[in-house]
Amino acid sequence: MKKIQIIGLLTLVVFALVKCQKSAQFPAYQYDNQLSGGSTTVFDATSKAFGNSFAKLSSYDEYVHELGDKIFSQSFVTAPAPIHSGLGPIFNNTSCVSCHHNDGIGLPTAGDAQSSLLMRISLPGADVNGGPVAVPGYGLQVQDKAAYGLQPEAKVNINYTYQTYSFDDGETYDLRAPTYTLTNLYAPIAGTYLLSPRLAPPMIGLGLLEAVPESEIIANADPNDANGDGIAGRANYVYDVTTKKMQLGRFGWKANTASIITQVATAFNQDMGLTSSVLPLESSYGQSQYDNLHDDAELPDTTLNAVKFYAQTLSVPARRNTSDATIKRGEQLFILAKCATCHKQTLTTGVNVAFPAVSNQVIHPYTDMLVHNMGVGLADNRPDFKADGQSWRTAPLWGLGLFQVVNNPGYYLHDGRARTIVEAIMWHDGEAAASKAYFSHLSKSDRNAVLKFLNSL
Amino acid sequence: MRSKFLITLSVIGLAIAGCKKNNTGNNGDNSSTQATLEQHVLTDFAANLANPNYQDIQAKAQVMNSAITTFNASPTDANLEAVRVAWKNTRAAWESCEGFLFGPVEDFNYDPTMDDWPVNKTDLDAVLASNSNLTVADIDQLGTTLKGFHAIEYVIFGVGGTQKAANVSARDKVYLASLGESLLNTTTQLRNSWDPASGNYTAQVVAAGKGSVTFTSRQAVFLALVGSMADICNEVANEKMQTPLTAQDSTLDESQFSHNSVTDFKNNITGVLNAYKCQYPGAAAGHSLRELVASKNASLDLKIQSQINTAIASFSAITTTYEKAIYTQQNQIKSVQNAIKTLQATLEGDLENFVQTNIKD
Repeated sequence: MKKIQIIGLLTLVVFALVKCQKSAQFPAYQYDNQLSGGSTTVFDATSKAFGNSFAKLSSYDEYVHELGDKIFSQSFVTAPAPIHSGLGPIFNNTSCVSCHHNDGIGLPTAGDAQSSLLMRISLPGADVNGGPVAVPGYGLQVQDKAAYGLQPEAKVNINYTYQTYSFDDGETYDLRAPTYTLTNLYAPIAGTYLLSPRLAPPMIGLGLLEAVPESEIIANADPNDANGDGIAGRANYVYDVTTKKMQLGRFGWKANTASIITQVATAFNQDMGLTSSVLPLESSYGQSQYDNLHDDAELPDTTLNAVKFYAQTLSVPARRNTSDATIKRGEQLFILAKCATCHKQTLTTGVNVAFPAVSNQVIHPYTDMLVHNMGVGLADNRPDFKADGQSWRTAPLWGLGLFQVVNNPGYYLHDGRARTIVEAIMWHDGEAAASKAYFSHLSKSDRNAVLKFLNSL
Repeated sequence: MRSKFLITLSVIGLAIAGCKKNNTGNNGDNSSTQATLEQHVLTDFAANLANPNYQDIQAKAQVMNSAITTFNASPTDANLEAVRVAWKNTRAAWESCEGFLFGPVEDFNYDPTMDDWPVNKTDLDAVLASNSNLTVADIDQLGTTLKGFHAIEYVIFGVGGTQKAANVSARDKVYLASLGESLLNTTTQLRNSWDPASGNYTAQVVAAGKGSVTFTSRQAVFLALVGSMADICNEVANEKMQTPLTAQDSTLDESQFSHNSVTDFKNNITGVLNAYKCQYPGAAAGHSLRELVASKNASLDLKIQSQINTAIASFSAITTTYEKAIYTQQNQIKSVQNAIKTLQATLEGDLENFVQTNIKD
């Protein structure tokens, strides 16, 4: 063959191969498993690892992200004030960052300046939308701080009882079981009320989780355990105050919030007492603490939207040491223990031409975004839409290994009762009972491999 | 003879300086390998900068607390001025440590506890107008915007800096005494958190990559350090200076009551210089990040040093209080902001890349 023909043929072959690949997605093994957040992933394992914007944002988007960042870390003060006015009159904390320290998981105490635990409250039963029933004079959340001279709704008390357990090989671990009570109620509550503790969760990857198509989440649900593997998984459907519709719940420890904008507006309103166009009514309305200032909405939409965009564009840090043999072994054990059935390693976000950063990304959040029965030990016994009193959403595990770096020390689970990852694993029960048992039967070196793997996330 | 004598003295001086250079830090060693130097820089960062700086804040807060006691016993304008001076001195040491805000100062919220902003004036006035107890324990229960540096500033300087000793009420004095003691307590906690004999965060830094829970590598500490240096540049140029400038509202200034804002800003950037060169007034100099950079990339080191010095020097262009400058010296403010932003870009770009490329452990 002549040279020119060979070159021509080779070009054709290359062209054909390129053509074949063009529209297809790579098979899973061709994705870099370090990139937990797809192309938005950042490489940062410092205490600031949860505070980075997406790796590729336009300069305008970066500007809005930084605007949101400023507000996120800004303390608000009692109205009237020249700047950052509108805190309270009743609230849980004075800024976003005072609960979400370093954009990470918070401190499981209540009532202090750096406390990150709040208490949801409701009456038994369901409201018209199937959600929890507000307590007259309290609403759905206990605000345990108030402007000077006003009485907070209540004081939240946390008591732990400690018990020692052991693995098959004799190594021991402690679990601390919390009980939560309210004292110093500003007004009496008639009848029984239900409480549910919620710790400020890490802020990373929310925009990616919001971009996962509903169909992909539903596809993993198995509400009646039709496949008989002991693991169900239900989607929570919740009333969304922004769209005023029932929607798939994605965020919060019980997946009771449908969107980031609702999450942000609700946190401003309920946690800090700041009104916005989404929730223009003071959390204290109808109560003795109400400020009656007629200054609502206290937050301009630009502020609300900037913080929403900030929350949407906080990136997930990359995994570390993914080629380490022990970590690979730990990952295999994680799969064999069926942890990955709920803590699903890979999801793919939907195509979104309006916001390419979150569009069509293969991500590794280690969650199915469904709620599962986690047993009586973890139960709050407070239903939240379709998440019953023993159900919790599968917590995303991305960034898990950095919790103790971002927040030193780190805490785990919905109320921070677990002080180590081992404790968090050993609190699992219900649908996760078999997985927990698998872990507890492992040899010490295999348990350490699982932990080393989890710490690489 | 005289000039010869001077020259001889100079030579001796140089020789001593030369000797000193090799003996800086805890483990002076000219033949350090890269890894040893990295380790020395971490050890000295804790020993020669972080610990001395936190000790200094605590010592200065102690002085302020005594000055408050003196003022309360004898409320003269001179004694009020002594409290103000002590406040500014404590503030200088504090703003300087903001050049490297990572570790317990953030993990345990010592920063907002001492330096939250703005003052919650509505509630603060309500506190002073009420007759509730104002012991230190009561102050500890108050929100962070009702205590710390800026609440003290509000009491001792007053709006527009107009406070007079005669106008400080008995109630103000009780509040002031507890505010001063509360601040001192927090500075003590902060100091102890790094103290090897107490909280010992120092060990987390020194043992980076060798068993430290917080830092799995030396590189992680350097990234935290460089990140925090860049963060404070961003905060000064884009937030503290920009917010009142854009709004044309001096009540949004950081230290509006004391007119200390420009000094605050400058001390923040001085903190960056200290972090880069591992130095703190009154403490021995140590092996520094600067040495590490210079050993591999002399031109980058010169660029960073020159940009830090330029940024610090640029503040001299602002010849009035920041409260006035936002209206009358906007171009000067913008040139300071630009100098800091240039530095920030170098720290986030070149210096962070340097750390990622050269510190591999």
